[in-house]
Amino acid sequence: MIEFSGEFDSDHPPDELWNYFTDPDILAQCAPGCDHIEQVSDSELEATVSVGVGSVKPTFDVDMTIVEADRPNRLVMEAGGDASRNSFEAVAEMDLAENADGGTTANWHAETNVSGLIASLGQRALGSVADRLVNNFFDDLEDLADEGVPAESKVSAKPGATASLEE
Amino acid sequence: MKPAPFEYHRPTTVGEATSLLADLGHDAELMAGNQSLGIIMANRLATPDHLVDLNRVEELAGVDIREDEVEVGSMTTHRDLELHDELREVLPILPLAAEQIAGPSVRNQGTVGGSIAEADPAGNYPAALVALDADLHVTSGDDGDRTVPAREFFIAYMFTDLAPEELITGVTVSRDPFPAERTGMVFEELKRAAQTFPTVSAGTAVRVDDPAADAPEIEEARVALACVADVPLHVPDAEDAVEGTTLDEDALDAAADAAIEDADPSPEMHADEDWKIELAGEYTRRSLQTAYERASNDDAPDN
Repeated sequence: MIEFSGEFDSDHPPDELWNYFTDPDILAQCAPGCDHIEQVSDSELEATVSVGVGSVKPTFDVDMTIVEADRPNRLVMEAGGDASRNSFEAVAEMDLAENADGGTTANWHAETNVSGLIASLGQRALGSVADRLVNNFFDDLEDLADEGVPAESKVSAKPGATASLEE
Repeated sequence: MKPAPFEYHRPTTVGEATSLLADLGHDAELMAGNQSLGIIMANRLATPDHLVDLNRVEELAGVDIREDEVEVGSMTTHRDLELHDELREVLPILPLAAEQIAGPSVRNQGTVGGSIAEADPAGNYPAALVALDADLHVTSGDDGDRTVPAREFFIAYMFTDLAPEELITGVTVSRDPFPAERTGMVFEELKRAAQTFPTVSAGTAVRVDDPAADAPEIEEARVALACVADVPLHVPDAEDAVEGTTLDEDALDAAADAAIEDADPSPEMHADEDWKIELAGEYTRRSLQTAYERASNDDAPDN
């Protein structure tokens, strides 16, 4: 299992930012390598995402489930994806808190199991790339919020869902 | 294993290549000297639907030594740099970096642009170009030309600022900070066996005030290391430590300490993290010493 975590500061208050994190159209624009996102139900999304390291860039069919959606404080998602000769499962959680400047500090944490060829790249390689991708995602999302692109919260937690990775 | 099926394109101009990339986007992969991509594809780590071979784009190959700067085209081979006598006079670090890459067959095919785009932290040119503060030039069909400083181009392990539809056309290095008669340059590698990847390498340049003096003073120093972080590691604190000095032991110690402080290597099978950190310091020290000696005596050979 690989763990990632980080912190992100936004100029926008949590309640405003929440709409961006829970609008599939916004996510599709910001998620690195995301081709499209389709909303299957209130709490389930399907996406096609192409991520990779250099020439190695498998395209994953990803299923996401919203496990917790405590507006505007906490969002937990479970995701799994398959690509040719690669697969992953992941749990990502994010806590939003208003900071002293009236903006938001978001703390995120993700755990993932990766298998297949991409796993052979090793944790260090994946870690440095993942950091970059996550930061790009937050930067792009902040840009959309700065530009005032409208966002609407369209997801809710799946009743009774819990998230954990199989060891 | 053999690669998955792909369609093969062989443009003859940059314009043709970039319009192919614009059309094919994520499904295409550029091929330069094919010293790494072929292996990745044969193992089916990469399965691009289209391969755009740049080997017939003649405008991308060649070295142009101008009064103020040197330009190297992206399709220039390692062998071309290694054998370029005039370049060895004015910017020896590039031929020195080139001649230590793998073996002759790789150097005959491998290219500057391919090495930069692959961005392996063990690569020689990325470290040399980061040391030199070179500019990388990229182009795309839709957005035209763009210049990126080498120090900003390498983002993470094999991960660069290059967009899928962009291609690297070449690099330029300013000659101004490195007048040949007062500059010493080094590309120093530790290899556990010939023709393998280095365990650590250092690209270093030193300019002195008066090469004929008994103890010339360092006016400017450049140090970058390969293989000790997930990107080519520029070590400005090592440069600061030796600039304005005559490279005494204290200055060398401080420079080595700065490299040790900044190094953040991944362990390898034959080299654990602690040892690689120690090597970062040692190769900073050695390369500075050699560069200083070369800068201080214009009669000394470059290698």
